[in-house]
Amino acid sequence: MREPISIWCFSGVLLFIYGLLIFASGLWELAHPLLHPPVLHQLHAPIWWGAILTVIGLWYLIEFWPHKRASQPKE
Amino acid sequence: MFPATNLWMVSHLAGMVAHPQSGLIAAITPSGMVRLSPVDLIIIAVYFVLVVFIGFYLKESSNTGEDFFMAGRQMTAWIAGLSFVSANLGSLELMGWAGSAYQYGILATHWYWIGAIPAMLFLGIVMMPFYYISKVNSVPGYLQLRYGPATRALSGITFAVMTILMSGINMYAMALVMKVVLGWDLNFSIWVSAITVAAYVALGGLRSAIYNEVLQFLLIWAGSLLVPILGLIEVGGWRNLEKQIIHNVGQTGYLHMWTTLGHFNTNPMGVNWFGIVFGLGFVVSFGYWTTDFLVVQRVLSADNLRSARMAPILGAAFKMMVPFIVILPGLLALSVLPFKLVAQDIAVQTGQHSFNEVLPLMLVRYCGPGLLGLGVTALIAGFMSGMAGNVSAFSTVWTYDLYGAFMNKKASDEHYVKMGRWCTLIGVLVSIGTAYLVQHAASIMDYVQALFSFFIAPLFGTVLLGMLWRRATAAGGFWGLLSGTLTSFGLWEWVERDPSALRYVALSPDAKAMAQDIFRALWAWVVCVIVTVVVSLLTKPRPVAELEGLVYGVSPIPEEHDDHWYQRPMVWAGVVFAVFVVLNVIFR
Repeated sequence: MREPISIWCFSGVLLFIYGLLIFASGLWELAHPLLHPPVLHQLHAPIWWGAILTVIGLWYLIEFWPHKRASQPKE
Repeated sequence: MFPATNLWMVSHLAGMVAHPQSGLIAAITPSGMVRLSPVDLIIIAVYFVLVVFIGFYLKESSNTGEDFFMAGRQMTAWIAGLSFVSANLGSLELMGWAGSAYQYGILATHWYWIGAIPAMLFLGIVMMPFYYISKVNSVPGYLQLRYGPATRALSGITFAVMTILMSGINMYAMALVMKVVLGWDLNFSIWVSAITVAAYVALGGLRSAIYNEVLQFLLIWAGSLLVPILGLIEVGGWRNLEKQIIHNVGQTGYLHMWTTLGHFNTNPMGVNWFGIVFGLGFVVSFGYWTTDFLVVQRVLSADNLRSARMAPILGAAFKMMVPFIVILPGLLALSVLPFKLVAQDIAVQTGQHSFNEVLPLMLVRYCGPGLLGLGVTALIAGFMSGMAGNVSAFSTVWTYDLYGAFMNKKASDEHYVKMGRWCTLIGVLVSIGTAYLVQHAASIMDYVQALFSFFIAPLFGTVLLGMLWRRATAAGGFWGLLSGTLTSFGLWEWVERDPSALRYVALSPDAKAMAQDIFRALWAWVVCVIVTVVVSLLTKPRPVAELEGLVYGVSPIPEEHDDHWYQRPMVWAGVVFAVFVVLNVIFR
């Protein structure tokens, strides 16, 4: 039996997936520049923002992943 | 910050949709402000899948009344606190106040600081012990214990009607924003969001709503934080931003929170310091944050009294930071946008962009594919958790305070949970009906906005006297609440019929529309308190023994045993209040 999944684990899943998607999209833009890039596109915000979200998400996933319940000590 | 703002935003957006050639709609794509890329759509789809999964996952742990309606009273201070502040942080809230910041400058921050922080701290330090130790399931439930069934019924009926109407308006608002920003069909947005909210709230109850509110809070920060960061980089820092705003608008009033409040006509908002401090900072803010069950329910779900006291304090700390992602983008827009935004009616006539579009405009300015999807998902999440918050609060008040209290008092716990689930579904259906009703009769929004304000300010007077004054009687509470509500209604009707009457309501011929809500709430509260006191003194008080656990001074508050001084809620409330004071001094 595992512990119930906490809200922080769900948050980790979401941030991790979003971080990866945004990071990958930033890398894609490097190879395929946008026709109408946003202001300050030269800062490559999707790459570093995506990386930050990925790291935070991964940290939450590891920290709050539901562990196996410890077996009940015998009386 | 308050539903009134949301409704103001909706009515303006409604005008925008009625004239689709306005603003960015025509400028960027034929059908919407932006065109989403495949990665943006994947990001939105992931959110929908996750929230429905959470509903199914939590169904197994939502089988008792305590689980379904109060999330098992198992939420930690952090979760309850984030949910508490998130229940109020809807998308319209973000978009509406960003627009207000563009229109009125930094004055809009008052609705986040003095209009929230003191009330949240007061809830945590003074009021929460009474809500918590009385083990009530709702604010009307407290009124039942303190004043009796008549006051509970009045409060319960009004609240149930208001929440369900607000949920419908939220739904309509979301559909409007999706239409304006993305060009999505209104019916598609209404039904997809309604079915999703119905699924996860009916399955997982309050716990599911709270989980999604916490997710929404994280999403809003993840999706919005880049706008002020990149904006400040573009303008060259805060000092340059100040210079550019003064250059662009020609006055310094947009950059001061207090020094322009000496009189109604010395600031762009048309309010004065008295209205801001006593109307907004005391009556409106305390009324909303301490007696509106939609937000109080989140704190009641805490796992112990200490968590219940810490939750609003943590919420206040987060609330204090929100202007960074709401007000600052509005101010940045005053500096960086190459065109001026105008009022909605002018935008409709001239094809310019309106104040309300400022946040999406700034999002589009800095965010490309992926980041844009995240920003849009944050907006959708905000709308949906707004709906879910209203529906879950409605379900609780209906089941416990109306159905269980007056129609079927002896049903089993299982029966009440079933009733709660059905209530959620019926509530969502009624909300859909409201959404369509509003679509065809926009003036209904004005009435709902007014109805909401009729009730909250006097309710604060009733609850406050009930908690702090043992002499308050059942008759005093009921007649005070009723007379305060009628006063608010009467003042609103007076100004509706004769707009020049605002000079009497707000005590100045220079008062503008913003001052009306504030002063009307102040009068309603004053009348409620006076009537409650007078009627109570004329009627027989309850024996003190019956007031134990309900009133300050006759209730032993359970002692909290903190290992260290820095774990005490009072210490953290002091820290938050000190930061609040310093921020107000800095931006005075």
